[in-house]
Amino acid sequence: MAPSKKKHASNQACVIPGGFTVLSLQFSSVSVAQHKLYVKEHKVRAERSSHRPMDRTLFVLNIPPYCSEDVVKRMFSEFGSVQSVELRDHPGSSHESGPKISKVFRPAAKQGFKVGYVVFENASSIKAAKSHPHNVPLVVSTKEHPVRTGTQKWIQQYSDSFVHTDKLQQTVDSFMEGYDKRKKEEEERQKEEAEQQQEDEEGWVKVTRGSKGTKARPHSEAANKKTLQKEIRKKKRKELMNFYTWQHRNTQKEHIAELRKKFEEDKQRIALLRAQRKFKPY
Amino acid sequence: MKKKLTVADEPAEMVPSESHEEEENDAPCKAKRSKPEDAGGEEMVYHPVKLSRSDLYRPPSAEELNQLKEAESLFHCSLLKMQMEELLKEVALSERKKQQIDSFIQTVTMLIQTVPESPEVEVSDLSWLSSEVKVPFLLVPKATKGKFHMVPPASVDLIGSYPLGTCTKPRIRVDLAVTIPADVLHPKDVVNQRYPRKRALYLAGLAQYLASSSEIGSMRYSCLHGNRLRPVLLLTPPGKDSSSFTVHVHACPPPGFFKPSRFHPQRNNIRTEWYTGLQTSQSEGTEPPTPHYNSSVLGDLLPRPHLQFLSAVGSQCSAFTDGVALLKVWLRQRELDQGTGCFNGFLASMLLAYLLNSHRISNSMTAYQLLRNTLNFLATTDLTVNGISLAKDPDSSAPSMADFHNVFQVVFVDPSGHLNMCADMTACTYKQLQHEASVSMQFWDNPTVDGFHGLLMTPKPMIRTSDHVFQLCELVKLQSSCKKLDLLSELMDHSGNYVHTALPFILSLLQQGLGQRISLLTHSLSPDPEWSVESEAPKHKAQPPLCFGLLLRPELAASVLERGPPADSPKSAEFRQLWGSRSELRRFQDGAITEAVLWDGESMCQKRLVPRQIITHLLQLHADIPESAIRYLGALLDDVIKTGSEVPSTGEEESLLVVQSYDDLSRKLWRLEGLPLSVTAVQGAHPALRYTQVFPPVPLKLDYSFFDREKTSRSLMPKEGKPCPAYITPIKVICHMEGSGKWPHDRLAIRYIRTAFHIRMGELLKKHHNYTCKPCPTHLDVWKDGLVFRIQVAYHREPQVLRESVNAEGLLVVRDSEEAQALEMTTIHKPLLTSTLHGLQQEHPSFGAVCRLAKRWLGAQLFSEDITEDTADLLVASLFLQPAPFTPPGSPQVGFLRFLHLLASFDWRNNPLIVNLNNQLAVSDYTEVKNDFLASRESLPVMFIATPKEKKQSMWTKKGPTVQMLQRVVMVAAESLKLLEHQLMDSNEIQDVRVVMRPPLDAYDVLIHLNPKQVPLLVQAVDPPTVTFRRGAVAGSMSQSGGALPVVDYNPVSLYLAELREAFEDLALFFCDPHGGTVIAVLWKPKAFMPTPFKTSQLSARSVEVTGDEAKTIPNIDAILEDFQVMGKGLIKSMEARTEKWSF
Repeated sequence: MAPSKKKHASNQACVIPGGFTVLSLQFSSVSVAQHKLYVKEHKVRAERSSHRPMDRTLFVLNIPPYCSEDVVKRMFSEFGSVQSVELRDHPGSSHESGPKISKVFRPAAKQGFKVGYVVFENASSIKAAKSHPHNVPLVVSTKEHPVRTGTQKWIQQYSDSFVHTDKLQQTVDSFMEGYDKRKKEEEERQKEEAEQQQEDEEGWVKVTRGSKGTKARPHSEAANKKTLQKEIRKKKRKELMNFYTWQHRNTQKEHIAELRKKFEEDKQRIALLRAQRKFKPY
Repeated sequence: MKKKLTVADEPAEMVPSESHEEEENDAPCKAKRSKPEDAGGEEMVYHPVKLSRSDLYRPPSAEELNQLKEAESLFHCSLLKMQMEELLKEVALSERKKQQIDSFIQTVTMLIQTVPESPEVEVSDLSWLSSEVKVPFLLVPKATKGKFHMVPPASVDLIGSYPLGTCTKPRIRVDLAVTIPADVLHPKDVVNQRYPRKRALYLAGLAQYLASSSEIGSMRYSCLHGNRLRPVLLLTPPGKDSSSFTVHVHACPPPGFFKPSRFHPQRNNIRTEWYTGLQTSQSEGTEPPTPHYNSSVLGDLLPRPHLQFLSAVGSQCSAFTDGVALLKVWLRQRELDQGTGCFNGFLASMLLAYLLNSHRISNSMTAYQLLRNTLNFLATTDLTVNGISLAKDPDSSAPSMADFHNVFQVVFVDPSGHLNMCADMTACTYKQLQHEASVSMQFWDNPTVDGFHGLLMTPKPMIRTSDHVFQLCELVKLQSSCKKLDLLSELMDHSGNYVHTALPFILSLLQQGLGQRISLLTHSLSPDPEWSVESEAPKHKAQPPLCFGLLLRPELAASVLERGPPADSPKSAEFRQLWGSRSELRRFQDGAITEAVLWDGESMCQKRLVPRQIITHLLQLHADIPESAIRYLGALLDDVIKTGSEVPSTGEEESLLVVQSYDDLSRKLWRLEGLPLSVTAVQGAHPALRYTQVFPPVPLKLDYSFFDREKTSRSLMPKEGKPCPAYITPIKVICHMEGSGKWPHDRLAIRYIRTAFHIRMGELLKKHHNYTCKPCPTHLDVWKDGLVFRIQVAYHREPQVLRESVNAEGLLVVRDSEEAQALEMTTIHKPLLTSTLHGLQQEHPSFGAVCRLAKRWLGAQLFSEDITEDTADLLVASLFLQPAPFTPPGSPQVGFLRFLHLLASFDWRNNPLIVNLNNQLAVSDYTEVKNDFLASRESLPVMFIATPKEKKQSMWTKKGPTVQMLQRVVMVAAESLKLLEHQLMDSNEIQDVRVVMRPPLDAYDVLIHLNPKQVPLLVQAVDPPTVTFRRGAVAGSMSQSGGALPVVDYNPVSLYLAELREAFEDLALFFCDPHGGTVIAVLWKPKAFMPTPFKTSQLSARSVEVTGDEAKTIPNIDAILEDFQVMGKGLIKSMEARTEKWSF
């Protein structure tokens, strides 16, 4: 830490190889130690995501566990108004999951150090962030916006875990409604497909297994494997194992070889144990 | 073929690659660990057997074929044969050693033969001896007639095991018989200890002469098998081999000097008048017989004939010496081979000779077969009833078998027909021998047990073998016991050794009193005393305390009632005599009026100590031994798991309450009407439901004013600023719902449906039974009887659904996922384990208590994160299911000691631990498990535990421990065991068994001290806290249902630990005692401090250092330490960073 501080004059942005700018962060104004955030504009070749626009998104590394999305948003508002903040465990593309899940149903998030994608409203804010002097730290918990940690936080968490039963029931109902609807749509689609399999122009009919109307189950991997094994077994049954004399002789030879092998193995095991003085009874 | 080749592969990379880390972990404790075998052992690694094709397929020679065949058919596998050979090599004497011994013997013989003569003096005149040498004899009474003078011996011969070739390492002893010339002795010397005294004087004379020689290293006195009438002189060679062997010099009379018929067990050779010094009018005919005195003098006459006899027998049987060596090892592991009344190597050889002579074993058998057959003979023959004799055609003067049985407890007559070689052995010792032999035979016949290791390599010290142990500390008290028991003539027979005189009587008294409660009563054999030639012979009381071991019958041992015969039966007098004032007439429910004794004991932990009450009562009543002289070691460890204020309890009663409440809940769940699907199974999945929770949940009564209230549901909430509320454990219950087509086939939808079930179930329970419930997506909390049950609904196809997915080609693929495994663990495996172990508890009442002790220890030593509760329970279960070479533990203490021994000694690297729950695994399964294990050792967890349901993966230990942690566990366990056994067995030690529960904290880098106010489980701490806090709850039953939901599962310490672990898992390890620990110990990972190149994915809590174009990262320690403070605000009292311990 120390050398890099000396190298750069104060009031200057500190840029390290890799193109990251170092920002300092401290928990509160009285804190002694500082964490370092590493920021860079978000630039990925493959990704064309609507909620991480290339020009306006700042990629932030090493966000401490007590910084929630709201805190990050507030801290980075210093450089310009922030549109959204996304915190993740690891850098990577965002993948959307199907239906929206209510908060209580999401598995608990990991409380480790995070990477963040801060989307500003203006592209100019990124520049502002990148030129922020490294010796002026961002502050997590301020007087106006205290961040709860420790017992305060856990009590808060505990009280948050209470969800009113009716509300919970409502969430369940609305999700199941949506699920049923999606199911039905799917079914309908399949039915349509089935109908398409009706007689074509030349009078051919595609025949599939199962009665009409039921969904055609996808072939499973397990079934494939089973058939393969069946065939191998069939082949094996046809072979004759002790028909010729040489076959007989071979099995005998194999037997002795096996015994020898075992003998050698045991001998080695013993040698090892002996080396460890495992035979010293007391 | 290829597969075979890899079988012997060993995890080569497992150790060396981590060696750096190990060092770091162990460094602070290196001083403690000085076991030599650890040092070299770790580097040993298997290499696959490499046999070339030509080697494997070359034509076999006849000899090789024979060898292979023998290995196959005789020993099950060649492994056992080789193991035996190796063991024999370890105990056999090397040629070099033999040469050393031979040359030393030669010098000693030369020296002895040149002993100068001395003038004849009265026996009682000791003035001819210099003051540097004392007579190795307790001269009581003092007066002796007769004359004595020193002369060179008639002959000096080797006797005993060394010339026979059955001498083994360690403690090599070579016996040398020095024949006292006939003119020193008188045929009448047999009477009144004259001969034994002359013998002692002769030895003293030898010692005086040898003291001036420089060719003798050190000289001490001892006596043969603790018999003070037969002192021996111990000589060691000078220089550095002084401790490698000792020469025992025995003095003996010329062959045939005394007539054997004088030593008939019914004859008297010590006159009462002489012994007591009082004039009595008894003639020789009415004097009491002195069988023990007789046999000890007779024993001196016979060593040479015995040696001739044994060498004649041994020369015919090629495996004789090896067989004796194996027997000696077996005996020594059981502490039966030395001390008074032992079954030593000499008796072992005699027994083998007997079996050979009676054609029970043949001359062509191998050593292993000799051992097996001998044990079989011991197991099936009771020498206390039917003695055996080696005498082919005893002369007419020889006593009959009945004569021997009348005066000795165990009878094994020597070839002359006059001597009972087991004269000093107590019936209890023989019973112990028999018990050991039959247990050994059982294990040997069981192919699932590693017989070799269990029976020949595992020591069985009494403290780890017997369920309860007690010590008689002040042996001098036995003197008054002799008086009380009226044992004057026996005392005379034993030449005043009151310990050996009283012992058989005390044993039979205890046996009678304990009766059906015990299956075996054993006692320690007093070791042969040793003292220097310059000091007087030690007194009889100068020996370590006598230890007695009890093997309890679990179903009867804890009964508080001793029901005697009916009041009018003639036996009632006998009963009253035995129990004294404790015996009362009682009327029972069946109408009978009988004598009975009622012992105190309310809770299980008190009842377990009923044997103690019996023993102290009987010894006080009949033997005048006060309670203060008895040190009872049965439940000293119970303290650390004791709860309950009024009646102390170790948790059995509380667990039972929990189980009863759970049973009630499960019945109610079954009967619940109005659920869309029916309940198919309700299963407990919590340690408290299998009696193994360290501190079982106790019903609590709440003080509502202590808490905040939640707005809508009025549930209780912890209040800021107040001490953390009492911790309420949610008791997990799995509720399986019926399968139905209506269940969705989608992971998310199942989750929602499950929530709907939780809500509905909660509503119904509230409606029908008025239980307060709190439904969540993952579970339903039910507040019932002052306990909280956490019900989780399970659908049996859910794991399958979680595993299935449709890939791009539309193919349904099944892939194992962590999520599915975790779900199977909670909904299938844990409930199954819980019910199985619940069953085990019913079979072995001490199972739960052992688990609790074991887990308390693991917690206190900060290992509970690595060895989880389930793993610990399985480890303990293995002690009960496969106890070889012991019997299943019958008390928490012995179980805990064996648990520590298992941890410390099991070879985790090369062996799977197979826990055969419900006896579901067959022999073939064992082989299968072992083969699978060997085939893929590297990829398997370091601690591998196989169960019938799960033979390949060891799912219970998948997450931990790591190699380093396991090593530390092994080390700490070994250390704890040593310390604990020492503390338990040493009567001088101050009793503080909690020492093993206090972890050494100097190994850690940062200590975070917690504010006791915020540690809810503070009262469970190993050392009871000095201050306690009001936590808004008192123990006591609540009204059965209703009321506000208490604060459930809120423990700031575990929340804090979870946060720390998630945030800094790649930098540090965090340790804390879950049962009231007030310190969190942090250990930096050794690799964490190494600078690593800048990578966006590995930047957590690190700062960057730039050197040129390269950016390296190191942990930002200052900020991390501050984060510890920030994240634990309100919980942390202080932090102690030992900066001097780490560096970049």
